Amino acid sequence: MKGLFKSKPRTPAEIVRLTRDLLVQFDMGSVRESKREEKMVELSKYIRELKCVLYGNSEAEPVAESCTQLTQEFFKENTLRLLINCLPKLNLEARKDATQIVANLQRQQVQSRLIASDYLERNIDLMDILMTGYENTDMALHYGSMLRECIRHQVVAKYVLESEHLKKFFEFIQLPNFDIAADAAATFKELLTRHKSTVAEFLTKNYDWFFAEYNSKLLESTNYITRRQAVKLLGDMLLDRSNSATMTKYVCSRDNLRILMNLLRESSKTIQIEAFHVFKLFAANQNKPADIANILVANKSKLLRLLGELKTDKEDQQFDADKAQVMQEIASLEPKELA
Amino acid sequence: MAINGEYPLDPKCYEIVGEIGSGVSAMVYKAKCITNSSIVAIKSIDLDQSRSDLDTIRLETKTMSLLSHPNILRAHCSFSVGRRLWVVMPFMSAGSLQSIISSNFASGLPETCIAIVLKETLKALCYLHDQGHVHRDVKAGNILVGYDGVVKLADFGVSAPVYDINFDSRLKEIAGTPYWMAPEVIHSHNGYGVKADIWSFGITALELAHGRPPLSHLPPSKSLLFKITKRFRFSDYDSHSSNHNKKFSKAFKDMVGLCLHQDPTKRPTADKLLKHVFFKNSHKTCDFLVKNLLVGLPTVEERFKASNKMVRGDETGLFERQRRVSGWNFNFEGFQMDPVYPGAARLSNNNDTNKASCSKDKEEMMFNSALSKRVRFRADLVIPCKRLDLDVFSSSSASPALSISTPTEEQEATPLGGDGSGGVETTKEEQLMEVVDRLTRELEQERRKNKELLAEMEFLKGVLHASP
Repeated sequence: MKGLFKSKPRTPAEIVRLTRDLLVQFDMGSVRESKREEKMVELSKYIRELKCVLYGNSEAEPVAESCTQLTQEFFKENTLRLLINCLPKLNLEARKDATQIVANLQRQQVQSRLIASDYLERNIDLMDILMTGYENTDMALHYGSMLRECIRHQVVAKYVLESEHLKKFFEFIQLPNFDIAADAAATFKELLTRHKSTVAEFLTKNYDWFFAEYNSKLLESTNYITRRQAVKLLGDMLLDRSNSATMTKYVCSRDNLRILMNLLRESSKTIQIEAFHVFKLFAANQNKPADIANILVANKSKLLRLLGELKTDKEDQQFDADKAQVMQEIASLEPKELA
Repeated sequence: MAINGEYPLDPKCYEIVGEIGSGVSAMVYKAKCITNSSIVAIKSIDLDQSRSDLDTIRLETKTMSLLSHPNILRAHCSFSVGRRLWVVMPFMSAGSLQSIISSNFASGLPETCIAIVLKETLKALCYLHDQGHVHRDVKAGNILVGYDGVVKLADFGVSAPVYDINFDSRLKEIAGTPYWMAPEVIHSHNGYGVKADIWSFGITALELAHGRPPLSHLPPSKSLLFKITKRFRFSDYDSHSSNHNKKFSKAFKDMVGLCLHQDPTKRPTADKLLKHVFFKNSHKTCDFLVKNLLVGLPTVEERFKASNKMVRGDETGLFERQRRVSGWNFNFEGFQMDPVYPGAARLSNNNDTNKASCSKDKEEMMFNSALSKRVRFRADLVIPCKRLDLDVFSSSSASPALSISTPTEEQEATPLGGDGSGGVETTKEEQLMEVVDRLTRELEQERRKNKELLAEMEFLKGVLHASP
């Protein structure tokens, strides 16, 4: 029967409109209980179709023109907000499809503009909803993925960085559920590394509270994974040229040095190696404050022994060269008069 | 079974019952969840030793927790315990097909059982591929069976094995699982597509039929090693006479043949394969497996203990299994794979029974030169590990270990030749690799002798002191 009435295939814009109509009904709760299941099946089907337009399937590659049409129609109205709101009502497969759609749309250009970025700028409060995902085991991975895709846009990343949300990451990263904590850590890293100028500005403005939290909650966490990720990210941030002002400030603090020296002594090889990449900045600093220099002098023999034994699993010439330089620097240090 | 029961994110809520699997950086335990009384399997991964970085592990566990299919093993939850990551999973009491085979079906499973388990596995692959995932490590060791005969595909990514309890698991973390690898995977570093899973699926079918994957059985004697490298073709399964009597249906052979097409584009998709007559005619259910596969099977714990003894008693086996293969030719009549050895192709092409056309010859040459990239890559990985292993046996391993790695480094430095010269280089390389292999084995033997002598000396000393 179905074959007889098979109409011509729907255009991408039509599928978006059909999806949106159903989302509106679910969002308002106006779906009658008896019809609910049937309509949910229909909605899941449309969402799958949207995904196929954007990603193609085993038979066909995606068509640029169709993707553009879909993207335009999607952002013409509030489809994204509806989709995010209704996500908890969808089944697992539809949620995954929706997440992939949202990810793809962030990259679609219409007349060489990322219209997703413009939309999100006008609807920046959507980030507040996505952030709540980390407090909900069921939604965390879906909302988390969407959030990470949205912060590809600089305006969005800037909003999240400067919002109160950022502070919550220090807690989310340490959640006991590995999947969720790791997802939060990935987003946190993205926020602090992706948009160089935004990050540099943020770190300069928020230096005090940010690194106080970073040190005490992350670098000195009792959780191995947290410490390992935090010291790696710290290295990534400080070694980035655009953050040189922050780096210069960071390596002049005794407290920071103490924390890094403790990490250098960890029994975990991975953490030791990552800690070295930050520690070397303290040693290589040519304008070391007297107290920093004196700590290094006081621990000279211990440090030299520790560094001498520190080796990477695979041969790493850069590491070996850095290490030699740091050891030479420490060996040649003399006590300084405190200013 | 507590399907919807909550699984706590706290190690104190689990009581370890026993060990059921181990690898270089991971252990698998059978455990009881105290809060909901269910039995679970816990994979405990040492994050500091694991080759994978945290991001890879994150993506793997995330993928796993977002999959939902009756034939896919899904984790209940995962959380960190000190330096280790615990992944809590349903306990599959019959263990992996690989361990079922090595315990009760050394020469392979009956075809009816194979049809059932492969069909279930294929359903899992259909779902995975539809989701855009590639499993990358399909093999009997990753196909698990529950007490009720339910079949589930496990172990995503290559970070660590689940239940994979013979020493394959140890190798796997060193160098991947070579026997199941598709040619395009062996020959490039980014060749994993969904069709690579189909290839591995075909190899797995052979593994189930014969009791082990093609070429996994290489005895340590030097003479045989020599013979193998000198011959183009070598029927791996010939050594097991029992296999000669085995008859498999034409449908089965045809299905495997489709999977093992050299050209990935010519292999069927998982969906299409599921419609193959071999699977269409398989109507038996999980109950059939319970009655025919699981009866009289030792428990997973018992099997693990037995296999552990085997591993410790046969350390040389570990080296033998690292022989490289450049490609496979599926032998339909014999229902087995004939391995193609790097460098050997040109030596005895003429007495090959297959029509080796010029283009094929060229293809093989390309195979070989492409392979040499891989070989070095592998050798690079294998050697540091041997060093680690050796450390266990002797305290003064530094210098001999260095002498192992030296020839390899020389090989590293040899640039790959172009089309024509590539073949020659490969031969040279092959010879070098052989030398490395041989030296490694000899060194290992020396070490063991040394150790035995030391032990004997200690013993004699003890006797001396004890006597008045």
